Amino acid sequence: MPANDKIRRSWLLVPMSRPERVLSAHQAGADVVILDLVEFVAEPDKPAAREVVAANLSAVKAGGAEVFVQIDPELMLADLRAAVWPGLNGVVVSRAESAEQIAQIDATISSLESERGLLPGSVEMVAGLETAPGNHNGYEIATASPRNWGLTLGRADLIMDLRPEPSGEIHLMQYLMQRLVTIAAAAGKTPLGASWRHPDRGLLATPANTLAAARRGRAIGFKGSFCVLDNQVAPLNEGFTPTGVEVAAARAVRQAYSDATESGTIAAVSHDGRILTADIARQYANVLALSDAIATREMFKTAAVEGRPVPVP
Amino acid sequence: MADHPRRLKRSGLTMPIVTERFINNAWHRGCDFINMDLEDSVPPNLKDVARNLVRQSIPVVNKGGADAVCRINHDLMEADLNAAVWPGLMMVNYPKAEYAHEIRRMDEIITRLEAERGIRPGAIEIGANIETAVGVANAYEIVSASPRIRDFGGASGYDMSRDLGVEMFVGFDQFVYGKGEVELTARALGVEPHAAPFTPNLTGSVSDPDRAFAEADAARRCGFRIGGGLHPNVVEPQNRGFTPTDDEVADAHWVLEQYRLLSRSGDTWIQTEDATGQPRIIDRYEAARAQELLQWRALCEERDREKSEAISRVRAAEEHAE
Repeated sequence: MPANDKIRRSWLLVPMSRPERVLSAHQAGADVVILDLVEFVAEPDKPAAREVVAANLSAVKAGGAEVFVQIDPELMLADLRAAVWPGLNGVVVSRAESAEQIAQIDATISSLESERGLLPGSVEMVAGLETAPGNHNGYEIATASPRNWGLTLGRADLIMDLRPEPSGEIHLMQYLMQRLVTIAAAAGKTPLGASWRHPDRGLLATPANTLAAARRGRAIGFKGSFCVLDNQVAPLNEGFTPTGVEVAAARAVRQAYSDATESGTIAAVSHDGRILTADIARQYANVLALSDAIATREMFKTAAVEGRPVPVP
Repeated sequence: MADHPRRLKRSGLTMPIVTERFINNAWHRGCDFINMDLEDSVPPNLKDVARNLVRQSIPVVNKGGADAVCRINHDLMEADLNAAVWPGLMMVNYPKAEYAHEIRRMDEIITRLEAERGIRPGAIEIGANIETAVGVANAYEIVSASPRIRDFGGASGYDMSRDLGVEMFVGFDQFVYGKGEVELTARALGVEPHAAPFTPNLTGSVSDPDRAFAEADAARRCGFRIGGGLHPNVVEPQNRGFTPTDDEVADAHWVLEQYRLLSRSGDTWIQTEDATGQPRIIDRYEAARAQELLQWRALCEERDREKSEAISRVRAAEEHAE
């Protein structure tokens, strides 16, 4: 089972070149804020954008969010020097293409961690498999660094120029999404993404479409997704949270299984016409654990917004 | 292979080279290429006869401006190549490609024949058709095996159905995984992918012009450029379906104009409305698509001009002869 210890359902990309977006990012309710130095920063604005990362790392966490910085492997050194400061939770490697590249980024982060007084190994990584070579080398990329926490297709639809089919599905995405989910599970990493359809493109969608994409995405294994607009955050949080109906059903299953197996004489029982085994019951227990972890995460965020002290979970 | 001009392959007819009537009439159909078949449409007892027809048939199929392609037999590769690689041939289609060593062997033979027969080195393309599960498994090594592979696709169709033991004409896509592997391979290695978005086809008709147009149009909208078929009815619909329309050209100019305005603003994207009131996003990706669409349309127009001039020349010469 992939790493499921951290609740990171909504990842809001904020252009580092837009001070007003950076200032308001903590109010959006995102589990993670990504300060972007790549996709949404115009080329001439990049040096100035890098300058202000360090000063904003703690400010964007004011709403209880974690903070990642999205870096460009082509500008790796400049971007990492701008990003790796105390307070940083991780980096998103846009357009990740090879294991060597990930190893190089890992090594650079390590030396910056020791230079700047961060706990060694504390900066995590999410690899963006946004190009064809990146997807082809997905498993090697995923396993190239212990810092790797997650994998995402990011804006692969735009970067690989994948367009809508007559059905409304984005060409090749069903294949790429399932491939990524499988690779991530095999490597013990967390798959991030949502199952977008036409007319959604490049992580842009209405709140309603975002919710639908999150639900479809969760159904094939994604645990959270990137987004671009503040009003996509709530639908992602909702879409990647088990519904009340699911939680109630999971509780009933847990009860039914423990009642039926109490005697220790059987391991498989039928419940509501379905078969239950220990593994299946565990799957439902995971839904309850996820639901509890999300409730804790939300309490933490609420406390942060209200300025109350919060116990570290 | 930047020094080899891109050849358009929107439409193409595959025909048995032993059926003289087909070969002699194909030139005026307006296809981008004509695929002279030595494989499935030629019975085993005629393989030798068929092979001896290729050299003389190349100028016949070329005369209307179509490029000449020859589909060889997987198991008769060396003899077939020897018969097919002559000046005027654009590409050899290799069916049921399964291993990189097959492609490397083909490349060696073609390289030698090019040198012996006065063909520009590297000119002849290899079309490596993936039609079996083994081919899917080895796709990356196959495409890596020769720079003569300039476009790549497959993992669907009759042979794939047979190899997997499934019915071909069903109401859903049975080949999602194999087609995905093959397309990702093409993209990862930087060769042009050819693929078709799935459209349900329960009839299996090879001559329905409306279906041919709908499929070509859907493929073009997904960014694909390569067609081909078995019946003259589908040539014109494929040429049309793979060529951007006037409305799309106007739209591309509009997108590029919006992008010029955007790039002065410091923003990387903007949401706006087009002339029809549709919400549209403008960013560098839309601009790149628009630019590519205009270049592709220009290539299509140039190719159509080339073919119609060639056809007119032949007709004028024929009238003169009478």
